[in-house]
Amino acid sequence: MAGIMIYSDKDELSFELLSAANLISGHTGLPINAVCINNSEQAQGLAARGAETYLINNEAINLADSKGMASALESAAIQLDANIILLSSNRRGKELSGRLAEKLAAGCLTDVGSIKVNRDKIECMRNSLGGAVLAAQMITSDYKIIAVESRVFEEMAVGKEGPINNLKIEAQPAELEVLEERAKVGDTANIESANILVAVGQGLKSENDMLIIKELAEALGAEIACSKPVATDKKWLPEERIIGLSGKKCKPDLAVILGISGQVQFTVGIRDARTIVAVNTDENALIMQMADYIMVADLHDLVPEMTRALLV
Amino acid sequence: MEFKLSKEQELIQKTAKEYAEKAIEPLVNQIEDENRVPDEVIEGLRELGLLCLPVEEKYGGAGAGFEGFVVGLEQLARVSGGVGIFVSVVMLGTSTIAVHGTEEQKEKYLTGTCKGSWIPSVAMTEPDGADPRMLKTTAKKDGDHFILNGTKRFITNTNFAGPMVVFAKDADTGRINGYIVDKFCEGYSISEPWDKLGSKGAFLSDVYLKDVKVPVSNMLGTPDEGFQTLKVTMAMGKIGLSAIYLGNILAAYDEAFNYSKDRIYLGKPISQFESVRNSIVDIAMKYEAAKLMTYRIGYLADNTANKAKLVKDSAMTKIFVTETAVDVSRIAMNVFGSYGLMKDYKMSRIYRDAIVGPQIEGTANLLKTVVATDMYK
Amino acid sequence: MNIVVAMKQIPDLQQVRIRNRQPVLDGVPMTFGSIDKNALETALQLKEAAGGNVIVISAGTEELEDTVKEALAAGADEAYLVLDDELENIESSVSAHLLAELIKQIENIGIILFGEGSGDNYSGQVGPRIAEILGLPEVGYVCDIELEDSRVKVTRSLEDCEEIVRVNLPAVLTIMADINEPRIPSVTQILKAGKKPKQILEVEDIGLDLKGDKKIITLSSLAPENKRKQITVKNGEELVDALLTEGVIRR
Ligand SMILES: Cc1cc2nc3c(=O)[nH]c(=O)nc-3n(C[C@H](O)[C@H](O)[C@H](O)COP(=O)(O)OP(=O)(O)OC[C@H]3O[C@@H](n4cnc5c(N)ncnc54)[C@H](O)[C@@H]3O)c2cc1C
Ligand SMILES: Cc1cc2nc3c(=O)[nH]c(=O)nc-3n(C[C@H](O)[C@H](O)[C@H](O)COP(=O)(O)OP(=O)(O)OC[C@H]3O[C@@H](n4cnc5c(N)ncnc54)[C@H](O)[C@@H]3O)c2cc1C
Repeated sequence: MAGIMIYSDKDELSFELLSAANLISGHTGLPINAVCINNSEQAQGLAARGAETYLINNEAINLADSKGMASALESAAIQLDANIILLSSNRRGKELSGRLAEKLAAGCLTDVGSIKVNRDKIECMRNSLGGAVLAAQMITSDYKIIAVESRVFEEMAVGKEGPINNLKIEAQPAELEVLEERAKVGDTANIESANILVAVGQGLKSENDMLIIKELAEALGAEIACSKPVATDKKWLPEERIIGLSGKKCKPDLAVILGISGQVQFTVGIRDARTIVAVNTDENALIMQMADYIMVADLHDLVPEMTRALLV
Repeated sequence: MEFKLSKEQELIQKTAKEYAEKAIEPLVNQIEDENRVPDEVIEGLRELGLLCLPVEEKYGGAGAGFEGFVVGLEQLARVSGGVGIFVSVVMLGTSTIAVHGTEEQKEKYLTGTCKGSWIPSVAMTEPDGADPRMLKTTAKKDGDHFILNGTKRFITNTNFAGPMVVFAKDADTGRINGYIVDKFCEGYSISEPWDKLGSKGAFLSDVYLKDVKVPVSNMLGTPDEGFQTLKVTMAMGKIGLSAIYLGNILAAYDEAFNYSKDRIYLGKPISQFESVRNSIVDIAMKYEAAKLMTYRIGYLADNTANKAKLVKDSAMTKIFVTETAVDVSRIAMNVFGSYGLMKDYKMSRIYRDAIVGPQIEGTANLLKTVVATDMYK
Repeated sequence: MNIVVAMKQIPDLQQVRIRNRQPVLDGVPMTFGSIDKNALETALQLKEAAGGNVIVISAGTEELEDTVKEALAAGADEAYLVLDDELENIESSVSAHLLAELIKQIENIGIILFGEGSGDNYSGQVGPRIAEILGLPEVGYVCDIELEDSRVKVTRSLEDCEEIVRVNLPAVLTIMADINEPRIPSVTQILKAGKKPKQILEVEDIGLDLKGDKKIITLSSLAPENKRKQITVKNGEELVDALLTEGVIRR
């Protein structure tokens, strides 16, 4: 019994899992099987990326029913002789991984942020203690379930075509019923909950230049924030967007900080950002010392350049 | 000897901390500007049992004792010194009544405070001073009533309905006793509030008592117990003050410690300077010492039958903690430099709050004479 | 109807310091995971709306007997616990089996609630695992619950959409952190917590082999080096490439 099986309800994530599976297969030589449930488009996508693809078409399997889904994947794993099962660590994937792990008496790791393969040992890195530490862990049971975070692997590129096979799976009726599905209403501007922030300071020459900042923010999917003087003195932005001691304390994944000197009253509001980019004409500006990426440049040149690079 | 909070006390601390951070912190500027504790905060404190921590459960209190009280009040005062004084005076009023009140007085006034909407006050100080020997307010027996006349100065929580324990001199015998006056009864009026430097939020005014009629049944204790009542009140007030300014020290510690890590000077946080590190260590040591004394006085209050005996220990604790708070504020301010003076920084409020402690509930100078008298007797 | 809430004892993360890249746990008090508190709050609100009994279940070290007072103070009526000092850092599959045993002791269960992830590991496995052990339906990431006789209507919050699902009871639900604001326990309740009923089981009663059942090994566990990278980039394109590679942005 040995083989890798991948499954995600989301097409892009399944393409990323294919890259993860390739990494493991590259070291272990194990075959890769990609499973799709009631989603022939995804099957085509996976096949186009070279995967041995198995399509399960059975309307009785309800995506919203983790019980039925876990049963289906259990049968698939057994039929395909797979013991390493890669799932996506999105919400559906996490629900599924626990349930499937219990079915297969498997050890399971979710929210896996990176994978290292050491001969036949698969080391997974994940946050622990509320993010205070990064743990390297390994599953020792026969069946192994690994749920991988999005964007850890790049999507597998389209290449040599793989086959699409049909897989027959029996299903029990679900004990739940989906009444409605609705799109999420977009959050209103809240710099505290934004994943990406573009923060501008007094390095911005005029209010008109705010336009290039907006374009960049749009290209990044970011909220705009600012240093205090930009709101209180210049009044170019409302005070709700101030970062810092007298403003908001933010913890975005990415903060792009443009023309802000980096006084402590500002930095206490942004020091918990995961990645910080600082753009400043002054290479000795304090903000540079707390940046991951440092760019000594005039923001009026750099910002449009960045926007263009994002939109290609 | 066990220097450890019980799980229950740990949870009381957590409840007070969480409430202070979630419900009081966002209103701190409002509390400062309006110089009063908002109604929603008073209701929140009452619902969570934080308003009446040491009052017995049968009167609607939390029954957390004085250990629970000091632990909880420290966390409230860490966020707002004004709220600290407010809660401390509620404790002072209820404790005075709890120790010397009759069952009916307790039933009425303690329950009315813990479960109703009353907020007690205690009125000792007068324009001449806070020393009982200088009391001018009089109580004149008239059938089944006493008639009270006089002016009380710097009294907290005078704007709320509820009981006020007024210390007055018997017009005939000259003996001092406590009388429970229902605030806003006929003949009760108050001045405009005083605007003080710090510990803002607890309403402070003068009280005018003009022919206030108090039923004989509202006298606290027997006529010859007055001095004991006074001693209990003095001791209790000092326990409250100690907890408040312990919270103030904790706040100064938090602020200075964090600032020392955030403030960058010549490319390094100022915590790299030995002088700054030493300052932080000094603050931490002083906090520990003040904490031990404060928690101990809470313990003593729970384990001393005759609370009048706490006068010396509570005075020593109060002097030490409030003077330490002033020291700590000064050291912490030095860590901040000019930034600490700005209203945007909590440090500025903490500093203003700290200055208040030694001047109230008996000045340090006066209290030292009390302690010395006890030591040399 | 009994509403069961599973809560995990963890160190108070705000008080954990890092020294030499290792977490220092000495003297850090134990508490419950913050999302578990949302689950408890959900249970309390369901009880207030429809009656019933809220029962907290948990497996952990002996300290748990004290820690559980926090949940009882917040309003839980009863606690079922497995206590053993060997139960430190147990893996999800073991927790699931221990908790499932506790659940089997409780009659007339309507809903079994979990947080979407524990406060320390946030792996989100235990709820679905228990649902599997008990053969119950499960809905994860719930942000709204409406009780209907023998069923519940719940809203499951996915990354890009919300799904309204009706599910038969008993059912396992895992709760989103933003579903509610957990109440602050009152001092009166805190002081009563120790007197509420507690059922305590030993690991032997359950007959689980803690050591033999290991499915995961931890090779290392270190705090990430918190240094900023300080990489100088030359132009916008290089910057965008670096951010794409790091995975913090997508085109
Ligand atoms: C009590 C108090 C509280 C405060 N609270 C806050 C707060 O909450 N939030 C806050 O932000 N501030 C706060 N401040 C103010 C803070 O100290 C700083 O003054 C402020 O953050 C500076 O804003 P800035 O960086 O935008 O402006 P500046 O300090 O003027 O910096 C502008 C920067 O832009 C760079 N620059 C100039 N031209 C360009 C260009 N063409 N391209 C790229 N870079 C350029 C410069 O080199 C410089 O580094 C507070 C101050 C006090 C005293
Ligand atoms: C915010 C606040 C809240 C208050 N709340 C209340 C309250 O609710 N109820 C109440 O009754 N009062 C209250 N007070 C009043 C307060 O307790 C008194 O003002 C305080 O005890 C000091 O008394 P005093 O102002 O008369 O000082 P004074 O007695 O005038 O002191 C002046 C100076 O003389 C010194 N001194 C005085 N007597 C002696 C002595 N015997 N030996 C040595 N030195 C001495 C003092 O130490 C000080 O240095 C409050 C005051 C404030 C500011």
